[in-house]
Amino acid sequence: MVNIKFTYLFFITMVFISFCYAQQGENKALFQLSGIITDASNGASLPAATISVKGTELGVQSDKNGKYILKVSAGKVHLYCQYLGYMAEDTIIEVSANRQFNFLLHPSSQGLKQITIQATADNHKEIATQNLTVLQGTDLDRTRGLSLGEALKSVTGVTTYQTGPSIAKPVIHGLTGSRVAILNNGVTLQAQQWGQEHAPEIDPFVANQIEVIKGAAGIRYGADAISGVISVNPKPLPTDTGSMDAEVNAVGMTNSRLGAFSAMLEGALGKKLAGFSYRLQGTFKRAGNTSTPDYVLGNTGLMEDDFSAAVQYHHKNYGIEGYFSNFNTKLGIEYDTEVGSITDLEQKIAIGHPVTYYDFTYLIDRPYQTVNHSTAKVKGFLNISDSSKIELQYSYQVNTRQEFEELSFSPSLAPAIYLQIHTAAVEANFDHKDGGGFSGTVGLSGVNQGNIRMYGYLIPNYVDYDGGAYVIEKYRHNKWLFEAGARYDYRWLQAYAFDADQAKINTTTTSYSGTSATAGATYNLTDNLKITGNYSAAFRPPSINELYIDGVHQSIGEFEIGDANLKTERANDFSLDLNYTSKWLLVDLEGYYNRINNFIFEEPTDQYYHAQSGALLEFQYTQANVFFRGADLNVLIKPLDSLDISSKTSLIYAWNETIHDYLIYTPPTRLQNGFTYHFGNLGAFRNISVGAENIYVAKQTHVPVGYDFAPPPNAYSLYNAHIGFKLIINKTLADFDIAANNLTNVAYKDYLDRFRYFADEPGRNIIFRLRVPFKILNNNNKQ
Amino acid sequence: MIKRKHAVYALLGTALFYASCSSKSEQAVAPNIANETITQASLKFTNQANVTDTTSCTYTFHVDNNGNVTSVDSTTLTLKANSKYNAVVYMLDQTQSPVFVVSNEIKDRENYHLFFYQPTPINAAPVISNTSPYIPGTPVNTSAAPLNLAIQRTDLDTNNPPLQIGLTTVFTTGAASTGNLRWVLRHQPNAKNGTYYPGSSDLDVNFVTVIK
Repeated sequence: MVNIKFTYLFFITMVFISFCYAQQGENKALFQLSGIITDASNGASLPAATISVKGTELGVQSDKNGKYILKVSAGKVHLYCQYLGYMAEDTIIEVSANRQFNFLLHPSSQGLKQITIQATADNHKEIATQNLTVLQGTDLDRTRGLSLGEALKSVTGVTTYQTGPSIAKPVIHGLTGSRVAILNNGVTLQAQQWGQEHAPEIDPFVANQIEVIKGAAGIRYGADAISGVISVNPKPLPTDTGSMDAEVNAVGMTNSRLGAFSAMLEGALGKKLAGFSYRLQGTFKRAGNTSTPDYVLGNTGLMEDDFSAAVQYHHKNYGIEGYFSNFNTKLGIEYDTEVGSITDLEQKIAIGHPVTYYDFTYLIDRPYQTVNHSTAKVKGFLNISDSSKIELQYSYQVNTRQEFEELSFSPSLAPAIYLQIHTAAVEANFDHKDGGGFSGTVGLSGVNQGNIRMYGYLIPNYVDYDGGAYVIEKYRHNKWLFEAGARYDYRWLQAYAFDADQAKINTTTTSYSGTSATAGATYNLTDNLKITGNYSAAFRPPSINELYIDGVHQSIGEFEIGDANLKTERANDFSLDLNYTSKWLLVDLEGYYNRINNFIFEEPTDQYYHAQSGALLEFQYTQANVFFRGADLNVLIKPLDSLDISSKTSLIYAWNETIHDYLIYTPPTRLQNGFTYHFGNLGAFRNISVGAENIYVAKQTHVPVGYDFAPPPNAYSLYNAHIGFKLIINKTLADFDIAANNLTNVAYKDYLDRFRYFADEPGRNIIFRLRVPFKILNNNNKQ
Repeated sequence: MIKRKHAVYALLGTALFYASCSSKSEQAVAPNIANETITQASLKFTNQANVTDTTSCTYTFHVDNNGNVTSVDSTTLTLKANSKYNAVVYMLDQTQSPVFVVSNEIKDRENYHLFFYQPTPINAAPVISNTSPYIPGTPVNTSAAPLNLAIQRTDLDTNNPPLQIGLTTVFTTGAASTGNLRWVLRHQPNAKNGTYYPGSSDLDVNFVTVIK
């Protein structure tokens, strides 16, 4: 109670202070620095280039006409201007009055693949003192065709929790599921994230950029996000009036014979309709059975069809945007992974590979799951002044999941489980910034969710109302950035379960509330070196399965029992980040300690549930105090302009203090070392680059006793290689990329794959990627 | 405390209540329907020497409304010493209406199913082949008196070449003894080869067995 009152007081004070400063700031002596950024070779303006003031957190992006405006204090200002595919400009200017300064950027010889490892302006970050990694450009392109989880494995501290080759959930700093919030174009994905075999329902082809926040980020993204946030962002809609562009992506993979095809059409209307822009995008994906080095995994195909449409109207000071996306998938579940009893499972573990060898096919048979996810959103903004803005967003999501089990004797065509979840969410945010160094966001959010089930019982129907309010304030002064924030959330949950014994409906109502907070600071020791510390507190109410699940988890021989009296989990996350960036070296070292009280996990009860098919071990949800600590190290060296060498290390240690044992499924140490060499142009081939990397994953030796059915698998080492180049097709540069994953065809098992009991991981996979952008209408073309 | 909660509500409530799906549909809970379940599994025996000498053993699963097993009952199997019995499988799903005869459905899907019958204790490891109804890996106990019981499957499916099923069997008893009969149904879609390992178990039960 005291805690809540204190936070409230803090909250109100912060709002008050921030408004006071917003008033004050207008009187401070600041000068306006403005200019235009153009291509030195042809004079074209460059929109969305980044201009930052080195040694500070100040930075902006140029607008659609290449113009930028920065407010700086008098004196020497070290400006840094960069734009993908151009050589960065670094200059120091003297400011004593409002002045204009233009940048002329030269295209870099290696085109888009140039990695500029200078710090980018990070003033757009919603939580400025938490570790944010952005996957974009060629790094993102090289993940096309992979699932969202797989795509993020190149980020330190991130791995996946898998159920066979087709289902992957992202794991951040050791945690996954509902503890990681996933945002699709600004809308928090609301599906059945609690399920271990429920992959995020997002088409990574829509992404232009994927942001990963590592750490407890509940302050901005609401209760649940106690371990991290993944934000999948499409690129902003075009603003070049009268233009129309298209892009086609094609991906082919030799393993699983995956074919993925994605097409996009976008444009901005001109003349009387100037300000309107749109985008249509669709993805089609098919894959058959995946192969390990020694055998084919039966029934591991997948199908995916996605569609999205966006339209926006932007005026100078206000805008409105509509977005709709539909994700539709059918995923095969590997044959012979549904076990009837613990003896069945032990027998399969002893064999270690499938008993029956299957042929390649695209057909998907029972067991399989189908998932449809639709998202609609409307978002509006209004610029109240140069420095403050109000945003309103409404979103509605429907997720329909059907799971079809393997049937022994029944002629039924029905699924085993049908779950449909509806979520409506509203959000209002007020951003403000003054010239004096204060900026911040105040927001309100509300969510209403309803879940309906049919057929077999696993989790009950429920209705849930969430409300939250938060404030985050930042203050920049010289070499310092300070940040503080607080949030309050309330959840009301009513579950309608079928009483197993008395055949009546049991209505249970519970409510949860809690506060989240963040406090952090960044100090720029030099232009190149900065140190950031952050403390974040967040909480997560128990999820519906943890409260009420009652049933058999087919593939792991478990009978799961929920506990309706579980309390909320509370995370206290500390992180310290050291970042050095120069023209040839980047070092980012982050250490973290995330202590979670009342951490919810499954504990074996040492009882057996006697199913028709034999005995299954019973697991009951319970709570304990645990901590996760670890370090993520990312090093990038450019000894030559044409050579990048990268090294990534993720270390993590997790301990359950209540039972004095390790935590199950903690990711083992992971190292990724690689290089890319840029050859430049060779005849018709442009921007040729060749690279290779080694991925080493250690054996997890820190495992709790009695929680797993098999010991962790051995360490493994994989080699990947790629070659990329551009060719001019129809007057535009098309990207080609050929990659080989698991080049040496190593047979291995991964600790974080639930199906490691039954089979190896996929063998060698050669991936062909092609991207062709084309212009349909030019700027201001007469239509 | 209550006021505070209400303040949050007042701000959010209006928009949300309009937006929300009606909670009535959540409150109308659909019945729990499992695609398949086994509530009763029996073996019915007829003495080859005397067709009026019949016996049976039955394993009953009591399931709750979530389809989970709450308790089980099992009868003792009592057979005469030094006799031969014809046995047939009879399995039911009594949660369906009308009652679903599971063993008939298994007959229809005979190419995907295989029954195993394992007496215990045993003094020597059973012979394992694709015509043996015995379960590989059964522990050998040389210190206990064995259950003197041998089983042969007597039916064939339509695989090419045909494989046994185990819906009908012959039980041959020896001298008086006691022990257990483990009875397993393996479900082996597109994988049946006469051996135990492919697929997974649909039924795995034990009967206390007395030969006298």
